[in-house]
Amino acid sequence: MEAAIAITIGILFGSGVWLVLRPRTFQVIIGLLLMSYAVNLFIFVMGRLWIDQAPLTLAPGTPDPSVHADPLSQALVLTAIVIGFATTALYLVMMLGARGLTGSDHVDAEEEDEQ
Amino acid sequence: MLLPVLLLLPFVCSVIAACMPADARNREVWLAGTACFVSLLGVASLFPQISAGEVMRYELAWMPAYGLDFVLRVDGLAWLFMVLVLGIGMLVVLYAHYYMSPEDPVPRFFSFLLAFMGAMLGIVMSGNLIQLAVFWELTSITSFLLIGYWHHRADARRGARMAFTVTASGGLCLFAGVIILGRIVGSYDLDVVIAAGEQVRAHTLYFPALLLIVLGALTKSAQFPFHFWLPHAMAAPTPVSSYLHSATMVKAGVFLLMRLWPVLSGTEEWRWIVAGAGVCTLLIGSFAAIFQHDIKGLLAYSTISHLGLITVLLGIGTPLAMVAAIFHTINHATFKASLFMAAGIIDHESGSRDMRILRGLGRHMPITATLAIVASAAMAGVPLLNGFLSKEMFFAETLLVGGDTDWWMSGAALAMGIFSVTYSLRFISIFFGKPQVDLPRVPHEPPRWMRFPVELLVLLCLVVGVLPALSIDQILHNAVYSVLGEQMPSYDLAVWHGLNIPLVMSIAALLGGVLFYRLLRRRFNPDLREHVPLIHRFSGAQGYENVMSALSRSADFVLELFNTVRLQPQIFCILLAMVAVIATLGLPSSRHLADPFANLDPLFALLLAIGCICAVAAAWQAKYHRLAALALLGGTGVVVSVVFLWLSAPDLALTQLMVETVTTVLLLLGLRWLPPRKTPKELAIEVPRRVWLRRSRDLALAVMSGLLLAGITYAILLRPSADTIGDFFLLRALSEGGGTNAVNVLLVDFRGFDTLGEITVLAAVGLTIYALLRRFRPAPESLVQPEQQTDPLDPAIHQAPSRQARTGYLMVAGIYLRLLLPFMLLFAVYYFMRGHNLPGGGFVAGLIFAVAIILQYMLAGAVWVEAHLRVRPFRWLGLGLILACATGLGAWIFGYPFLTSHTAHLHLPLLGEVHVPSAFFFDLGVFSVVVGSTMLILIALAHQSIRSHRQPGKSADVEASASMQESS
Amino acid sequence: MSGLAWQQHLILLPIVVPLLTGALLIPVNEKHHQRKYAANLISTLILLGCALTLFSLTDSEYWSSGIGVYLAANWSAPYGIALVADRLAALMLTLTAVLALASLVFSSSRWSRIGVHFHSLFQFLLMGLNGAFLTNDLFNLFVFFEVMLAASYGLVLHGYNVSRIRAGMQYITINLIASFLFLIGVALIYATTGTLNISDLGARVATLGVDELRLFKVGAAILALVFLTKCAMWPLGFWLPTTYAAASPPVAAMLVLMTKVGIYALLRVWLQVFAVDSGPVAGFGFMALFCGGLLTLVFGAVGLLASDEPGHIAGYAAIVSSGTLLAVIGYGQPSLVTAGLLYLLGSTIATAAFVLLTEFIERIRTPGASLLAVTMEAFAIDEKPEEPVGVGIPGTLAFLGLAFACCALVITGLPPLSGFIAKFSLFHALLNPEIGAPDLNAWLLMGLIIVAGLAGIISLMRFGVRTFWASGNVLPPRLQLSELLPVATLLLLCVALTVLAGPATDYLRRVTDSLHQPGHYIERVLGEPAIPGPVRLQEGTQ
Repeated sequence: MEAAIAITIGILFGSGVWLVLRPRTFQVIIGLLLMSYAVNLFIFVMGRLWIDQAPLTLAPGTPDPSVHADPLSQALVLTAIVIGFATTALYLVMMLGARGLTGSDHVDAEEEDEQ
Repeated sequence: MLLPVLLLLPFVCSVIAACMPADARNREVWLAGTACFVSLLGVASLFPQISAGEVMRYELAWMPAYGLDFVLRVDGLAWLFMVLVLGIGMLVVLYAHYYMSPEDPVPRFFSFLLAFMGAMLGIVMSGNLIQLAVFWELTSITSFLLIGYWHHRADARRGARMAFTVTASGGLCLFAGVIILGRIVGSYDLDVVIAAGEQVRAHTLYFPALLLIVLGALTKSAQFPFHFWLPHAMAAPTPVSSYLHSATMVKAGVFLLMRLWPVLSGTEEWRWIVAGAGVCTLLIGSFAAIFQHDIKGLLAYSTISHLGLITVLLGIGTPLAMVAAIFHTINHATFKASLFMAAGIIDHESGSRDMRILRGLGRHMPITATLAIVASAAMAGVPLLNGFLSKEMFFAETLLVGGDTDWWMSGAALAMGIFSVTYSLRFISIFFGKPQVDLPRVPHEPPRWMRFPVELLVLLCLVVGVLPALSIDQILHNAVYSVLGEQMPSYDLAVWHGLNIPLVMSIAALLGGVLFYRLLRRRFNPDLREHVPLIHRFSGAQGYENVMSALSRSADFVLELFNTVRLQPQIFCILLAMVAVIATLGLPSSRHLADPFANLDPLFALLLAIGCICAVAAAWQAKYHRLAALALLGGTGVVVSVVFLWLSAPDLALTQLMVETVTTVLLLLGLRWLPPRKTPKELAIEVPRRVWLRRSRDLALAVMSGLLLAGITYAILLRPSADTIGDFFLLRALSEGGGTNAVNVLLVDFRGFDTLGEITVLAAVGLTIYALLRRFRPAPESLVQPEQQTDPLDPAIHQAPSRQARTGYLMVAGIYLRLLLPFMLLFAVYYFMRGHNLPGGGFVAGLIFAVAIILQYMLAGAVWVEAHLRVRPFRWLGLGLILACATGLGAWIFGYPFLTSHTAHLHLPLLGEVHVPSAFFFDLGVFSVVVGSTMLILIALAHQSIRSHRQPGKSADVEASASMQESS
Repeated sequence: MSGLAWQQHLILLPIVVPLLTGALLIPVNEKHHQRKYAANLISTLILLGCALTLFSLTDSEYWSSGIGVYLAANWSAPYGIALVADRLAALMLTLTAVLALASLVFSSSRWSRIGVHFHSLFQFLLMGLNGAFLTNDLFNLFVFFEVMLAASYGLVLHGYNVSRIRAGMQYITINLIASFLFLIGVALIYATTGTLNISDLGARVATLGVDELRLFKVGAAILALVFLTKCAMWPLGFWLPTTYAAASPPVAAMLVLMTKVGIYALLRVWLQVFAVDSGPVAGFGFMALFCGGLLTLVFGAVGLLASDEPGHIAGYAAIVSSGTLLAVIGYGQPSLVTAGLLYLLGSTIATAAFVLLTEFIERIRTPGASLLAVTMEAFAIDEKPEEPVGVGIPGTLAFLGLAFACCALVITGLPPLSGFIAKFSLFHALLNPEIGAPDLNAWLLMGLIIVAGLAGIISLMRFGVRTFWASGNVLPPRLQLSELLPVATLLLLCVALTVLAGPATDYLRRVTDSLHQPGHYIERVLGEPAIPGPVRLQEGTQ
């Protein structure tokens, strides 16, 4: 279980890294999204893995923390998701702007001389 | 109290002078002249105390914690230099009044000149080493400005830059040196430092301190090997040359050596460095002076050699040598200043300074000629003139150093004497012979008062030369005493000491000089030689410029290697740094589970596998098949959200899903504007090997980072969680947060502050995107209609999107979606309301709402939708932020901190009693901001397609703002 | 129930006021530009007022040991988010407000109109900066970094053209990736210590096992990478000169401050968690900071030598100052940090002023003439010395020249302005450590700082001579008061910093003393009680 999650996070992050190192803006934005998945998962599992123990204290009486997932890491992920969403949108629009203004979709907004 | 006034006066006057109008020549001169005169009187009034051997101090706390105080300290030496600075300053001001042409912007000139005067006074009056360094650099700066006064001339600019570079670097060395000195002594106060001579010379840091300080002095006094800047500084107006570059500023270096003589001198290092530099300088200077053609050039090199002479004397280090040094400083100041002014007069009245064409000026300007001849006689060391006295002392000292075995220094001294006689002869030769006819102007005597300063100075030369004991003795005594104190030597200033070796040397120098001059004229006439023989290869200007360009070129080269303007290498660096950090700090020696895949649900495993495959495939396809990559990415996103659900985070699952949807829509809208890209196979081109290399490098980094992150995750997961602050929230969520959904309570209550910032980010990004797209210009090739919309067989191409949705082939979908709209809005409300207790909340609700609207856009087109409902993103944004913020501030009313949550109990008709927690309104704000920014982004993107069908450009802004900038 | 004293709320205002102003300005149409500007100005003035009041409060006895704590949402630390105003925070707030005021007034004449929503974004930027200075919670710090960055993205692209979008592409991408690192670091720290509150970290770290400690260090180091990217340590800071050169002057002036946020965060976290006497992690990473600082210093100096565009010069000057400060922090000696703060103030203000100046300089530069001058320099040509008559310079040019000279003096650390004082106090602190003699590192740092200063002198002199002297008879630019005033004010501040060097250093001494005794700080933050809450139990039973 733990290993599987860890490997997943690793693979997502790795493919994200590969993409953000590529020269085309579209590749970079896909890479950023993959990285954000990986990072969100990472933050999330920092609160350890819980199955069917959502942090909803529906039961009457004082809740027992040991039977509920860590709500804080989830809250952090939530904030991270929102901010990630915003920045992704920004990057998208900027990449369109760069494409429109310079005619190129290279991350340096100009074709490398070597290619 | 007098001292600070003396110091401040020039600076104040400098400011006043700068503010005067450009044509106020006389006022400027009066101001500057009066300033000098008044201060001179002030200084003179100090003479009795000084003669009594008193040391005046004025202190002002500046940075007491660092031992840096503002201390003014005047003793004999300082007094002497103050007199030099102010006296010659006054004469120069008078002289400049006639020298500067009426068109010159004199305010700048005089304000710089006065500022320099103040700085120079500051140096000599400083009682604190750091403060001395401050004024030291100030003189460099002012001299830079004065040399560059005629800055439309390239030689002036270069002279200024050269002088400043050399002297400022020297200043830095001096700065470092005095700081080390202060470290040794434990104080920067001059008196303390001077008292601690023994301790300093014994200290291990003595040599570095000495070296740095001496470097400062040598650069300032144009000593070998830094002498090259002075001749180029002659591009300055002649008054400046005669003031800064002969009489005062260049003397700052020797002044420093005299000041610190009790501390630093007397060791082998001192003798070798100082005297060595001095000897080289006086030989090179005096030799080079012979072969100059420009009068000022000759005087500049002679200045260098005379400074070298003083330096040698200081290097010798005997008390008598100190006497000679100070004495020669005075004498040199007098005759060299007068000579420079004479040169200026000649230049001014004849229009040339070239000794090759100047002849017989004695006829035209007899008085000036006489003065110049006397002064240069003093320079050559002719008896009955002040130059003779100090030079004889110099000969005596050089003899003393060598004793009767080692004569090399005496030899050098004699050679220097001979050379100086020679160049003096060459200089005065311009007054004899038959007059030159074709000079730029017909030479004539200068105005009365322009000559006056020269007369006065020459008179001084004579008086000192004839009656030294009466004229200069006391002053010299004060100065020497202030340096040497107890070890005051006995000396008598007399013209005739009887027949002794120094006298013989002087006579030899005179005769030798005359002979050498005749020889030169015979054999190789200096007038006909372009360069100085032997040493002409070293051109200061070219050398300096070469060094400078070499510096910037090598800097460029280094940047080539260690800098980049491209994005990819930078990202690579950052990620590499991360990998390096994890790798070096190391993964913990994790205790392994027997079976790491224990209790792994196969379904879950499959899910993860799908996610991974999608991710890798997306990475694979992203370059050439964007749509496929997008789909695969969506797959990963969905998997992630399911993982959230599986691992008991329903809120995250919901949010992730909605964000996924909206992001995909965004990207889809964006795809249209990207350029087509064909695979190398299609283009049949070879991918160069360099690219392969880079790709493999990147791949390696990607794999490494993936592995390490996975490793860390695993290492963490193997550990029981620390007692986190998370439990606190579970315990209080209901009891004090008023909600059963701990996550949501965290977002709106415990950590509502984060959420506030988060929605601000949303708003800021929304605004940025709007601002960007307002100016969006599509690339030309993406303006053409996609072929799907130009297919002649398709009836839909003639229909507006709205018509397609009503009667066209989108009819079914159209009806369906419009029916769906209210339900989706209801959904949004539902998720919003339950948020506090069950998964949901303002953010999810906002996204659902936005999706509901955007579906309509996608279906019927922007025009139709906006005709039917006005979305006002900016209001949503603004109101949302204000609402959230106001909710927070509401707590103040109840006397609680920002964002403290409260609950109102309302009795509503037909709803009965309901609890309305303040968090509700906060969440409403979040909802509104999310709707606002999402709509803003999506609509702004959607509008591009409308716009691009018309010709791009002009109408764009108008329309965008018309449809979106609704408030007015 | 007893309300909070108004002084408490002062700690919050620097965050809320800009937020409200920015929010209010969003729906206002660009047509009412003047009103928007006025609102912006008022809010910034309020910020300045708050900052100054906090400045005096934190330096007084009002709060015990001069540290004010504000519990947002009334949850006591470490559970809730605590805003902490101590001397350092107050100082940075004041600096922010001053620079903001300057660049705002500067932008009023021209720059704020070349795009939309400048004023809202500007206020959000201030909110982010102030929040980053005030918060005491790692994740909240992340959020405020994001606010700051999001606004700065907009401002960098403000009035966008090709160069700005190129720079923006770099700036934004790099910061996005840095944000990911930030999240990873925070998550790791949370996973190992179970807290997000900076003051809470110290105590919890002391109880960690070997492996947890290692993971914690990894987290902290990754976090440090983010801060180092922000303050442009080599090799993480290549984005900086490009961005400075591309951004519009008022924005670039704010960017100058943003590089200092990284420094601030480092000071906060490192001196509090990894202080010399903090058990298992004592002194962690200081050496790395020091070396990185030296490398950055050298890199900046080389860059200065190589660049002759005002934007790049400003960028490399900022890099030099970052390098110096990093090395100063890494050297880990309180008295040195005091001097470093003095240096920070001076260099930040001067660099900002220089950035604002570049605008006018661009107006008067005539490339052809200066090019000619360059070649004449290179080949040591002298044109025929014509009639030696100077050219008069009109008042505006005189002002520009003077202002440029002042900036150059401060940046290169030449006397008599604050740059020199700062360098002097740096060297003094280096050569006079509390105990023993200066070690090799001290000499190294001192030497490199001097060399960097020399490089700055050469570069700025070359630039100044080519611009003001060699470019022939330039016609003086038309300057408006709203453009002159900010520059003049900033420079006057530098002068004041010089004259009042004594009091300034005493104050900064107090700042660093409280920085190096995290004990008080931690005890104040964790000890601050929440106000007993209103009874909330009745919803408890639903």
